[in-house]
Amino acid sequence: MDIKKVLNEVTKEIEQSSSQQELQNVKVAYLGKKGKITELLKSLKDLSLEEKKSSGSKLNLLRIEVDNLIKNKFNDLKIEEINSKLKNEYLDISFPPPNSIASKAHPISKTFDEVITIFGSMGYSVAEGPDIETDFFNFSALNIPENHPAREMQDTFYIDDKDKEGKSYVLRTHTSPVQIRTLLNQKPPVKIIAPGRTYRCDSDSTHSPMFHQVEGLFINENANMGDLKGTLIEFCKQFFNVQNLKVRFRPSYFPFTEPSAEMDIAYEIVNNKIQLGQGDRWLEILGCGMVNPIVLENCNVDTNTYQGFAFGVGLDRITMLKYGLTDIRSFFSGNLNWIASNGFTIGEF
Amino acid sequence: MKFSYSWLCDHLETDKNANEIGEALTNLGLELESLTDYSEYSKFVVATIKDFRKHPNADRLNICKVDDGTNTYQVICGANNVKKGLKGIFAKDGMYIPGTQINLKKGKIRGEISEGMLLSERELNLSDDHEGIIELLDDFENGTSAVEALKLNDPIFEIGITPNRGDCLGVRGVARDLSAKGVGKLKPLNFKKINQLEFASPIIWNINNDDNSCEYVVSRYFKNVNNSKSPEWLQKKLISLGLRPINALVDITNYITIDLGRPLHVFDADKIGKKLDMRLANAKERILALDNKEYTLDKNTTVIADGNNALAIAGIIGGDLSGCTDDTKNVFLEVALFNPNSVAQTGRSLGINSDARYRFERGLDKNMVIEGLEYASYLINKICGGLVSKNIEAGKLENFEHKINYNFDYFNKTIGLELDPQKQIKILKDLKFQINKSNEKECEVLVPSWRNDVKNKIDIVEEIIRIYGYENIKQSVPSATIDEIDKIDNSSSNKKFKSIKKLKKTLISNGISEVITFSFHSIRAQEILKGDKSLKISNAISDDQSYMRNSMIFNHLESAELNFKKGFKNIQLFEIGPIYNSSQSQENILSLLISTEENTNSIYKSEEFNFYSLTELTSILISSLNFDIKQFNILRSTSNTYHPGQSAELFMGKKLIARYGKVHPLIMEEFPKLKNCYAIELFFENLPIDSISRANNINILDSQFQFSEKDFSFLFEKEQNLYEVQRYVKGLDKNLIKNVEFFDLYVAKDLGDDSKSVTFRVTIQSKEKTLEEKDLEQLHKNILEKVSNKFKAKIRS
Repeated sequence: MDIKKVLNEVTKEIEQSSSQQELQNVKVAYLGKKGKITELLKSLKDLSLEEKKSSGSKLNLLRIEVDNLIKNKFNDLKIEEINSKLKNEYLDISFPPPNSIASKAHPISKTFDEVITIFGSMGYSVAEGPDIETDFFNFSALNIPENHPAREMQDTFYIDDKDKEGKSYVLRTHTSPVQIRTLLNQKPPVKIIAPGRTYRCDSDSTHSPMFHQVEGLFINENANMGDLKGTLIEFCKQFFNVQNLKVRFRPSYFPFTEPSAEMDIAYEIVNNKIQLGQGDRWLEILGCGMVNPIVLENCNVDTNTYQGFAFGVGLDRITMLKYGLTDIRSFFSGNLNWIASNGFTIGEF
Repeated sequence: MKFSYSWLCDHLETDKNANEIGEALTNLGLELESLTDYSEYSKFVVATIKDFRKHPNADRLNICKVDDGTNTYQVICGANNVKKGLKGIFAKDGMYIPGTQINLKKGKIRGEISEGMLLSERELNLSDDHEGIIELLDDFENGTSAVEALKLNDPIFEIGITPNRGDCLGVRGVARDLSAKGVGKLKPLNFKKINQLEFASPIIWNINNDDNSCEYVVSRYFKNVNNSKSPEWLQKKLISLGLRPINALVDITNYITIDLGRPLHVFDADKIGKKLDMRLANAKERILALDNKEYTLDKNTTVIADGNNALAIAGIIGGDLSGCTDDTKNVFLEVALFNPNSVAQTGRSLGINSDARYRFERGLDKNMVIEGLEYASYLINKICGGLVSKNIEAGKLENFEHKINYNFDYFNKTIGLELDPQKQIKILKDLKFQINKSNEKECEVLVPSWRNDVKNKIDIVEEIIRIYGYENIKQSVPSATIDEIDKIDNSSSNKKFKSIKKLKKTLISNGISEVITFSFHSIRAQEILKGDKSLKISNAISDDQSYMRNSMIFNHLESAELNFKKGFKNIQLFEIGPIYNSSQSQENILSLLISTEENTNSIYKSEEFNFYSLTELTSILISSLNFDIKQFNILRSTSNTYHPGQSAELFMGKKLIARYGKVHPLIMEEFPKLKNCYAIELFFENLPIDSISRANNINILDSQFQFSEKDFSFLFEKEQNLYEVQRYVKGLDKNLIKNVEFFDLYVAKDLGDDSKSVTFRVTIQSKEKTLEEKDLEQLHKNILEKVSNKFKAKIRS
């Protein structure tokens, strides 16, 4: 019996197999029940014990080797077959897809979110009020009586419908009415912000008839003007992401705060772009002040015990400054090109 | 409020320059809006064209020899007014030209050297005039600075005056505030009282039936005046602010209005009757005012009238017929105190914005009535001559007296800054507040007559910190307390914003972009969508924005149309914001619009968007709010916004949760460019806030045992609500029935008009064991029987 010869023979046949079926036939012919190697193994029983030992182990090695050869060949053939099949499944990967535009969140959404987060970390919860307000909440409770010149600081939209006092409803000109609504509803301490839509009848590239503000109100036993200053500087640092922020507080006038202030932040023009934080030019950012005791009394708050501050920030304005946007009208045009260029992806939002 | 540096110095002795004063004004709350300062123009000098000749290579250019007093330069000049001997303003090589924003550079123009430039007014930003170069008429020496030659040495301040600071609507008031800030010393008002009041005024006053709008009026009659052009100093002052000098009498009143903030009026005494009334106007009484417009008055307007006519609208504007002209010989000067409220009301209803109204409605200094009278008399007498009458008056001039009890600690508590009582008192005294009684804790403050805005002790605090300086306030950041964090966690508004953010993320990740549109509706939208009548805006800017919206769909269709015009074929956008049901009711909703075109791309083919794609999207959105669409009641929508057969409403009890479907073809007629439009309105505020804001909603127990699936087909009545069937099947065995998924719907003639064939697959799985065949069969049988009984459905397979 020539093991070598058998091995050569079978190796050749395995190599020549061109399909899995042919290979299967080879496998049967050698390792099957009546296969050549199986027969050789069977014939061992006629041999002497010593011959059995030496031939047996050689034959076993042969069987294992042939088995391995066949397994490997099977694998090769399978890969070959799949590959030849895949050749017919080639697509034109260069066929360009239809144009699409990134879906994004509006920059104002991002600002709302940041404002709520930043003030949230300072302990301010969110409060809300309606856009269509009564004269009382928008004006008189805020110490803006009728015929007062301060009413002309704000161009008011009126609604035909009249409230219980017989006065026309107004579109709120600021978010400050939420101060009154909150103070009439809950006892101090009060620490809220109220972001939302506001309206003034004015329209050009820096004024829109609708815009957004956030109101802030903090009333307790001792909230003072230093706290106000610190709070707003901290907000601006975080919002504009500028640690070294030069600011200016200057006296101003709002009927509902006393003393009142406006806050400016410094900027300079670098490469035709506004850079916030340093420089010798000033940008007005917000109005604020200590809540006028008249307003607190209008809300039945005991002014011997409680005091505090309020502020109002134009959200469209700070958004424009932060991202270098120039025309407020484009905010509300619904232009998807504009949103795709200036909005925020889900990861950024 | 505008004034020049030199005018300010009439009242203020100061060594500060214009920039320093500008900064001090802002720090006082008198915000500097602009400072026009030409001091840097001193580098430009007067120069003379000695000679010129035509440029050899350019018809329109001349080569000039220009002498600036030190050197002679060759200058190429294109101006058409070039001539020998012309004196102009010269800029040398390297100088910055403000009007063109470039640095001048020596160089050749068409082959000829040019060493400088003769400037036009536009190049100096003085006007838009660039017809020719500046031609000086006076004989200045060459080398004289342009600031001197063009009289630009007086910087102009423009400041914003907040409504409370009527006292600073006169230059003197501004100077007074600056002096309190330590910027200079207030000079005494420089005029002489007229000692000889010769005669009694032939014209007398009577205040009656004026609805208390005039507290006091005082007048003088000036006989034999000579009215003509006012003197140069006065003209120059007015011109410096851009005002046109008219005649001496009018100029004097305008001057005093700006100088003292005290409006007053002069009548031509020969054009008015002898008895003047301060009275309410008759209904429809008319007056031709000094602005050349005729106004029709009503019974709330106070007028100054003689026997026959209204002569002036009190505190607002004079009448044209009684005004002073160059021919005026006799003058009647009126100085009055009008009620700010009635002036404001009248001014607003007539739409007149005059300098007088602006000052009266902010309240005037009572002590300035007599001072104004004396000052005006002095100027009229000095400039126009003539004789002056004794005073004639009506009403009563009450003394201004306002006392405030003030404790020094109040400042410290409000501002968060310890400021010594003596320092507080010093500031108040600098502001001319009188301190009557004081101890170390408190004092009584007497407010000066010009500060009617200072009413309470908090106003005293403001005055002190305004002068002490906001920059000295020490900042601190009150950090969040545990109670506050608790409140935030429990605030329903905070929860709502959290849910909104979640919703927005879901939308964006589904390829839908966020827009924000106006809260308004056009008249057309209002008609079509039948919004509540109470939503009409009385003073809308345009027809397109004349109602508050009761839906966002119209706005979004408009946006879609805009984007379509920009080339977008498939438009997907959403907005989360308010809609208004009436003037007293608004809610925040999500509104989404999808507008698709027929797909013509043969390679990138996707299923056409239809009602079921929309339903799936609605389901995804509702899932993101921790609800399952199938748990709501579904009904056909009756809204006229939607296609009646391809729209649905979801309810939780009686609360509308969502409305979605194909936009009604009648609405689409307004937007002919758009094809296939679908909308979703999600009324998320109607869902319980605690459920939608919860972070983890899904609580599916994962079973390790084998599951089995079985399909069921039934013939249902055509209008059978399949959400009910699904809920019913799922409820048949809550432990074993894991899922019920509908996947086929067949409606055809052969089934009859009233039926539909529906197939669904039920997934059955136990959490405890692998189910045996007989358990499964029992359950299958149960489903078949119960469903067919409950819904009168025929079993199909």
